Amino acid sequence: MNAFGFGNIVLIIGFLLIIAGCYCLIRTYHLLKIIIGIEVAMKAVTLFFTYAGYVNGHIDLAQAFVIISIVIEVVVAVVAAGIAINLYRKYGSMDIRNLMKLKG
Amino acid sequence: MTAIIYTCLGLMLVFGVMAVMLHSMTKSAIALAAASAALGVVLYEMGAVWSALLEISVCSGLVTVIFISAISLSNMDKKELEKVYEDKKRMSLLPVILIISGVVLVIAATTAGVQLPQASAVKDAGDLREILWNNRQADIWGLIIIMITGAAAVSVLFRESDWK
Repeated sequence: MNAFGFGNIVLIIGFLLIIAGCYCLIRTYHLLKIIIGIEVAMKAVTLFFTYAGYVNGHIDLAQAFVIISIVIEVVVAVVAAGIAINLYRKYGSMDIRNLMKLKG
Repeated sequence: MTAIIYTCLGLMLVFGVMAVMLHSMTKSAIALAAASAALGVVLYEMGAVWSALLEISVCSGLVTVIFISAISLSNMDKKELEKVYEDKKRMSLLPVILIISGVVLVIAATTAGVQLPQASAVKDAGDLREILWNNRQADIWGLIIIMITGAAAVSVLFRESDWK
């Protein structure tokens, strides 16, 4: 059995990217860095969707899912960047620990 | 083709990890854009042409612009940034975790007998437009609502007038 076949390599790289993104989500306090972590994990999800379509021959259906996920990814990034900027304006840093101080 | 895909997958992993690990936010944003570009090439080589187009233009272009504009609006000193977030110390374990995870995954793929289906040549002759409009129409309406919500959120969150 070939452990280094195309499918296994895609899955291993995807899992490593998800691990890197989740580690970033857990360990950093910088809001923009957290968004970057989400984006990195989403790259792996996009890769998985496309690989699934590539394997079973329904690449166009996979493309539909990828397009949907990309649009959602961008909206999440834009809204989170707006929140980060407002956080910076209020507290002078993009530290998510400052979100604990918010009231109301 | 295979060599291009493998190279781009490697580049994607390297740039993705760099985006997470680099201390400079600008460099992180650029590394993320490079990872997106590498993913775009992989998608193109797999036959997902429209996804590749969107990945490169939107994720590699638009998202990077958003990040750079957000970074430029916050003028924190790099040394102060390092002192506040301690990212150097907090992210130092990531390479070790990735190496261990990689070894474990390779061993699992070798020994556990996981047999993935072989990647077949693209046989789907369906039209993306038909699939999107006929099969995934509810998703399209959902996307439209999400985009309108995002636009409204941006106009509220980036508003300058009442900021003191």
